[in-house]
Amino acid sequence: MTLSGWSAFFFWFFGLAAIFAGLLTVMARNAVHSALFLISSLVSVAALFILANAEFIAGVQILVYVGGVMVLFLFVIMLVNVGAQERGSEEIFNRPRQVTASLIFCFLLVAGVLFAVNTGYQKLSDLRSQQAANQPVAGNARLRRGATLTSSITTQSETFGAALYRYGSLPFEIASVLLLVAIIGSVMLARTLKQERSADDVAPEVLAEEVREHPEVANVEVDSESRS
Amino acid sequence: MTLLLSVFVLLFQEAGEGRLAQMARGVKNPDLSKFLVIAALLFIIGVAGVLTRRNIIVIFMSIELILNAANLNFIAFSMHLQETGNVNAIAGQIFTVFVIVVAAAEAAIGLGIVIALYRNKETIWVDEIDLLKW
Repeated sequence: MTLSGWSAFFFWFFGLAAIFAGLLTVMARNAVHSALFLISSLVSVAALFILANAEFIAGVQILVYVGGVMVLFLFVIMLVNVGAQERGSEEIFNRPRQVTASLIFCFLLVAGVLFAVNTGYQKLSDLRSQQAANQPVAGNARLRRGATLTSSITTQSETFGAALYRYGSLPFEIASVLLLVAIIGSVMLARTLKQERSADDVAPEVLAEEVREHPEVANVEVDSESRS
Repeated sequence: MTLLLSVFVLLFQEAGEGRLAQMARGVKNPDLSKFLVIAALLFIIGVAGVLTRRNIIVIFMSIELILNAANLNFIAFSMHLQETGNVNAIAGQIFTVFVIVVAAAEAAIGLGIVIALYRNKETIWVDEIDLLKW
């Protein structure tokens, strides 16, 4: 599998864009800028997915990550006040000794990974050329043509859907339960004392202490149905 | 600078003679290994972000970057296996979907924790959250 022509150009374009946007994500002073750079990195990775014949995953990436997760991140950034780092009065990185140690560690990691990719890939490509000799390569010829007759319609999403329900139906169900637990858990975690009080779900001694500090909590109506 | 240079030397050193020609061919026709290299670099950037930043939200974003690098690896190997005619090559894409699901759940829970933490400690700097330190 090698890309060629415009595919190769777009591969390098989006690959470098993803890496630079990732670097800027880590180095940006403002958290909102960080989130926006992460969005562009995720979009670039989605483009790489399309180049790797995974159109459906690219769509899921943009819908779920960019549309869902990143909007959640932006909301939380705006909920917690980050004014100090915008003014430039706060150090954004951790203590210098820790930064040095982790950068050395990361350098060793990247050197090791690149070395492993370089040496290990030679064998893999030999194996692949062996197998490709046995197997006729499935080209674009047998695919249906699009309505404009300039492009062909891939069957990638169809294959993916069939495989998801054939091989992954149990993990699929487990994932749905996981998402339900995540929803309930995050609602529970982010609840304020006022909301806990209105559901009558707070220990009496904690409540007494809080009322001493914030008297407005005592005025919250207790939901009588949830008491039973 | 030296770090960048050695990264490039490692990136483009390949076995055998005609290194420059081979390098040019590799750039012109990127294959599986180039996907892996880009994923590795994204992963390292994410690890560096987790280890060095002080803002807990940026640390979460770096974790998302790491998960994306893993997804890129899954997709690249899935493509590679499809090319070699492996029947179950699509499994890499299925795995990617589950990674995305778990990442979404993790982000929801993690940001809930961040909000609860901010409400109690009034800070999002990780070096000030040291209640368990001794």
